[in-house]
Amino acid sequence: MNPQDTRSPLARAIGLGSANTGVGHWWAERVSAVALVPLTLWLVASIIAQSGSDYASFIAWLGTPLASIAMILLLIALFHHTALGLQVVIEDYVHSGRKFAALVMTRLGCIGLATAGIVATLRIAFIE
Amino acid sequence: MIIESSDQVPRATLLKRFPVARNLGVAPESRIGRGKTWPAPAGAVRTKSFDVYRYDPDSGANPRLDTFQVDLDDCGPMALDALVWIKNKVDPTLTFRRSCREGVCGSCAMTMDGTNWLACTRFIKDMATPAAVYPLANMPVIKDLVPDTAHLFAQYAMIQPWLKSSTPAPQQERLQSPEERSQLDGYYECILCFCCTSGCPSHWWNGERFLGPAVLLQAWRWLADTRDEGAEERLDALEDPFRLYRCHTILNCTRTCPKHLNPGKAIAEIKRMMIERHG
Amino acid sequence: MSNPTAKRPRPLSPNIQNYRPQLTSVLSIVNRITGVVLSLCAVVLVIWLIAAATGPQAYTAVQGAIASWPGQIMLFASTFAFFLHLRGGIRHLVWDTVHGFELRSIYASGWLVVVAAAALLTAAAWIVGLWMAG
Repeated sequence: MNPQDTRSPLARAIGLGSANTGVGHWWAERVSAVALVPLTLWLVASIIAQSGSDYASFIAWLGTPLASIAMILLLIALFHHTALGLQVVIEDYVHSGRKFAALVMTRLGCIGLATAGIVATLRIAFIE
Repeated sequence: MIIESSDQVPRATLLKRFPVARNLGVAPESRIGRGKTWPAPAGAVRTKSFDVYRYDPDSGANPRLDTFQVDLDDCGPMALDALVWIKNKVDPTLTFRRSCREGVCGSCAMTMDGTNWLACTRFIKDMATPAAVYPLANMPVIKDLVPDTAHLFAQYAMIQPWLKSSTPAPQQERLQSPEERSQLDGYYECILCFCCTSGCPSHWWNGERFLGPAVLLQAWRWLADTRDEGAEERLDALEDPFRLYRCHTILNCTRTCPKHLNPGKAIAEIKRMMIERHG
Repeated sequence: MSNPTAKRPRPLSPNIQNYRPQLTSVLSIVNRITGVVLSLCAVVLVIWLIAAATGPQAYTAVQGAIASWPGQIMLFASTFAFFLHLRGGIRHLVWDTVHGFELRSIYASGWLVVVAAAALLTAAAWIVGLWMAG
């Protein structure tokens, strides 16, 4: 508590008022979570199933329509959920001006990684 | 292992505190120093050691931890009785809030053995040895065990905890069926002791803007009241990434409520109402 | 004091330095930590996919890194983190439907569903994986 703060307690509590937003973020985090339950289980099962296979058979499996569609959906849901989750973590713990830089970098990083993963999967599906 | 009611004191303790430095992130004026060990009462057979947080704003010194030996045969069964005994028999400058001594006013809320509860309903025999008595967690301290609750009550005032109605008042009472009235059970009984808010990690890190479980439980109390006509403004005011959505369902609040209320559930109900509003 | 009107700021009573860790707060922070760990795993997933798309040499290099001692330990830790976060996440989704808020349910779901199930699932996944790899 800043001893120089001369605002009344009510002014401190009101702050800048309500942002009138927040449901969208909460809902998207839950929807992506629901999507991730089957998709991540599929990923873990697939990795286990592919444990003994070599490069060629792995590429052949990932190139099948089912696997590549599931992988792309997984990447979209995963990075959306990750971006939302990390945003909340940063908002919780970082309070200085660095907060906005961290939020921007995280969001852009997730978009970049998701794009990279999707393009890699598409290349495997269509080119190899 | 399975806690059924918030007044259960766990029998085993794996971790007494989180494995962080004792002075992690603590401002210099808040660092707690070694305090005075007060002499044991003469001729006492059963004594218990109490470590009590002390802070004197007039002395200019930092807070400290004093150790008292309380004569259990001369003192009532509750932690508040021990504090009153200390004030009467050992150190009259020990300062704390108390009023009803029966768990209905909320004045004596404090952090005992690392959990928030009312001192007047916490049995001494359920406390550790030495028993640790601190003011309510994460609060500015006015003196000894007295926290400054101005910000919390300001957050409470901000949610406008009164019946909002533009419909003219009826000749007799505003009607409400027994089922509708039962929707308020578990929410109207809050005594605003702020044990829950003080124990919420989200409120520790974002208490300036996050309303906390006590205030949000009362916000739900008014949203759930069928006589109230202000749901639109109430939900508008609450829909904010910090005011409501800093709650991550940690549930320390429900664990610690001395009146056995469920702030976590109330907040989940508010979030559900928010979703209903959107589609 | 030299300036009698200067007010010394009030000390803040201890919070995390003193508050008792309870199942509620511990499982919550574990869910958050596992979430952050899994976001790092997501980065590794993308690296792995890019390596697979690049060619056999890149893929073999990444596979080799994962098959090494530290790689296997991190993979094990990641699968445990994954199952903890999955069970914890489902527990949160149930709470979002406003069910299971009584203290008894909170504690029961905490011990059984999260800790036991996560440990069992991790063990099962690894046993099957090692069996399949031959």
